[in-house]
Amino acid sequence: MVELAQNLIDGLGRGSIYALLALGVAVVFGVMHLLNFAHGELITVSGYAAFWAITNGWSWWLVVPLIIVVAVLTSLVIERLAFSRVRGASQFTLLLTSFGVHFVVSAIFLLYVSASVKNFARPAWTTQSTWALGPLQIETFDTVVIVVTILTLIGTNLLLQRTMFGLALRAAAADFDTARLMGVRSDTVIRGAFALSGLLAGIAGVFWLMRAGSTTPSAGIDPMLKGVLAALIGGLGSLRGAVLGGFALGLAEVLLRSWLPGSIAGLTEGFVFALIALLFIFRPQGFVSVAHAERV
Amino acid sequence: MASLLAGRTGRDLGWPVIGAVALFAVLVGGGLAYQGILGTGAAERLVTVMLIDAIVVVGIQIYIGNTGVLSFGHIGFGAIGGYVFALLAISEAEKLKRIPDAPFGLVGVELPPLVAIACAVAFAVVCAFVVGLGLGRSGAASGAVAATVITLALLFVTHEVARNWPDLTGGDRAGLAFPIRGSLDSRVPTYGALLIALIVARLFARSRRGRLAQAAREDDLAARAMGIDPLVQQMMALLLSVAVVVLGSSLKVWEDGSILPGDFFFQYTLVTLVMLIVGGRNGVTGAVVGVIVMTIGRELARRLGQDGFEVFGIGLDSAPLDWIFRENLQTVFLGAAMLGFMIWRPSGLLDDLEIDDWLRRRLGGAESDVPPALVPAPEAGSSTLSASGIDVRFGGFQALSNAGLEADSGEVVGIIGPNGAGKTTFVNVLTGMVRPTDGTFSIDGRQLAGEPAHELARAGLVRTFQNLRLFGSLTVEENVEVAALVAAEHRGDRSHQDTAALIAQAGLWEHRHRRARELDYGNSRRLELARAAAMAPTFLLLDEPTSGMSDAESVAMVEQVKGMADAVGAGVLVIDHDLAFITGISDRIYVLDHGSVIADGTPAEVQSDKRVKEAYLGSAAT
Repeated sequence: MVELAQNLIDGLGRGSIYALLALGVAVVFGVMHLLNFAHGELITVSGYAAFWAITNGWSWWLVVPLIIVVAVLTSLVIERLAFSRVRGASQFTLLLTSFGVHFVVSAIFLLYVSASVKNFARPAWTTQSTWALGPLQIETFDTVVIVVTILTLIGTNLLLQRTMFGLALRAAAADFDTARLMGVRSDTVIRGAFALSGLLAGIAGVFWLMRAGSTTPSAGIDPMLKGVLAALIGGLGSLRGAVLGGFALGLAEVLLRSWLPGSIAGLTEGFVFALIALLFIFRPQGFVSVAHAERV
Repeated sequence: MASLLAGRTGRDLGWPVIGAVALFAVLVGGGLAYQGILGTGAAERLVTVMLIDAIVVVGIQIYIGNTGVLSFGHIGFGAIGGYVFALLAISEAEKLKRIPDAPFGLVGVELPPLVAIACAVAFAVVCAFVVGLGLGRSGAASGAVAATVITLALLFVTHEVARNWPDLTGGDRAGLAFPIRGSLDSRVPTYGALLIALIVARLFARSRRGRLAQAAREDDLAARAMGIDPLVQQMMALLLSVAVVVLGSSLKVWEDGSILPGDFFFQYTLVTLVMLIVGGRNGVTGAVVGVIVMTIGRELARRLGQDGFEVFGIGLDSAPLDWIFRENLQTVFLGAAMLGFMIWRPSGLLDDLEIDDWLRRRLGGAESDVPPALVPAPEAGSSTLSASGIDVRFGGFQALSNAGLEADSGEVVGIIGPNGAGKTTFVNVLTGMVRPTDGTFSIDGRQLAGEPAHELARAGLVRTFQNLRLFGSLTVEENVEVAALVAAEHRGDRSHQDTAALIAQAGLWEHRHRRARELDYGNSRRLELARAAAMAPTFLLLDEPTSGMSDAESVAMVEQVKGMADAVGAGVLVIDHDLAFITGISDRIYVLDHGSVIADGTPAEVQSDKRVKEAYLGSAAT
């Protein structure tokens, strides 16, 4: 029982980061129907920025905003250079474009930095510090992650429900053409979605990089997969589903790791992928299905 | 020989084989010339790698090109096949050194390489069958995201298993390295596999299943409405495609003399996908051209990245450009090529142009240019379509309530009603696009409610769409032929019209070699009608066939509809909101309003019906 509770809390911490990533993927999918395989590159780029700043003696208090700003700017630049040119293209083109962006970004770091791992110092409190809740040992880091994630989700919800931009975004996600007829500017709403997606990836990136303490040219693959898969688990196009999907993915990973016998524990990731493939086979629309029936 | 190249046999059998041989000659000839001129071991190796890449890329093309489903998983199948090949072909002594604890008694197995390849292909095809069932279950269709993610998951699962099962695969670091009775020192197996791959790919593309798959690639819904079950065609394409990919991946392992989990993962997926899309994913010729272009491009990028290059005395000193010509330049090149083509030329250099089509047009005899005429259908027994008690609810909205009709295959029945009356929903129910909440319909007593769309089309209920759904990149001729292919199999008891005659009847004879998406609006409508007629339907269901047409065109359309229906002996069910058009064409009319039938009868009866006037003109009319 104690072990299960412990696992649940660990899973929530992990799932929080996935939820932020998935929400970023879902926001962009909503307005552009683009499943962004390049979402993880936002973390790759901010990772190198963090590495540069820390080796130049910046404190983490400055690195945190730097990571977020870099993620937002990267998201906007990628939209400008690549995705804005394939708006409205077929799903095939959209998928491969984002795949291409992923490869170009990681190849640029491969070319101009190096293939080797770049390590940087993690803040001390992310590794050692824990506090006790009855019999449970809770990491301070997980606590901070969960609290910040909840605040971010509340903030995002307010932004979407209470502002004109949020209304435009939701309208565009429901029906882009009608939204445009009602005066929603497509440039504004799409760029706004990418900025929001970058902001969420930036916050997730802070935690991701604090935990990893390193970056490599291909560091984006892992967060990209987590974000994309979580968004799909929840049901593409549904923001609430994406958040749920993130938490579900985090819990599934932690629970599988503790249940699998030691000899095949290394296969946790493999099992998670297989489970997700099964989920799509039996429920391709995800947990929260969004009706997208085609009119004939 | 001549007969193999003439007519349809020629187009679907003779010429594709000639095309495959021509592509083989280009690849092998070019490769031999290159290595002959340079004469280095490195050049020879580059050519071998190109030939093997060509096999893998052509294999992937069979699936992606014909179905339009983006798969990241084919290299995962390649990994499965590669490992099976390695495990079966490595000598016992070598296995005892590297994987003494291998499961399934694999240590003692040692097969000749070609037998091992055959086993690898068979095993991977069985895996592909299971995955294919899953893809089908997930509703794979052209551009389906869920299907793409399943294939991506497959790639990661194979990679994770390969890394984390060292007893079987040697793990991430050691891998499986081996001399398989000497490494691949003869090109003969590669040549053989390449030729097989090209011939299989070209023949499949022209086969019945291949063409049905391409129709579904262009428009999944329209394909279902034409009686095609896309899942069957997709499965066939997947199995063939995986077999060819594994042929290539086994040879790659044989040639490399080793296999590591990373060999068949992201990087190789990128390489092969870029090759495919650069040339043009919808054609085998495009795939081959992509392999050649990207092999040359990568080699240049690699050399520029190293130390500049010098060919035939022309050198480029790259020192001043060191900031760009560095190691790993080829990965940037690959990513940029993918991005660039997706943004500026998503259909690739050649699109779906095939070398055999080109050759046939240059060398083949001129075809007859006289359009054949329609032969009136022999008097077929009359059929009755009857529907009753049809209810359709979308959430809280009642689209149809207790709607019904009777239609005879000898008559034209009109359904009319104001916008939102439920007309299109009614047609959607009768063609399986919408499941009725309640109610039944049947042809000659055969109950049809609840059957999927393609079964209803095969039963004789064939429709056109209000918002035009043609198979866009197929030609006019191919659009009609696809329907005729389905009719030949599933509508055997009906008389079939010659496809050329239907095209001529629709006034599209001189456009027959153009792509459907290049047609103007009126011609597109007429093509949809011809395509539906080629299904030899019992009932033609026309959803607003004249919407967007001028008055003169509408009048001509009435004649066309009647001519087509007579020629194939089909009854017609036509929907419109234009009272004049419907009364002009119909023998009997049903009037729908708010989802219910409010009147029916001859045009004259309906026009004088009080409720009809109310629905159309408001209650003030008298």
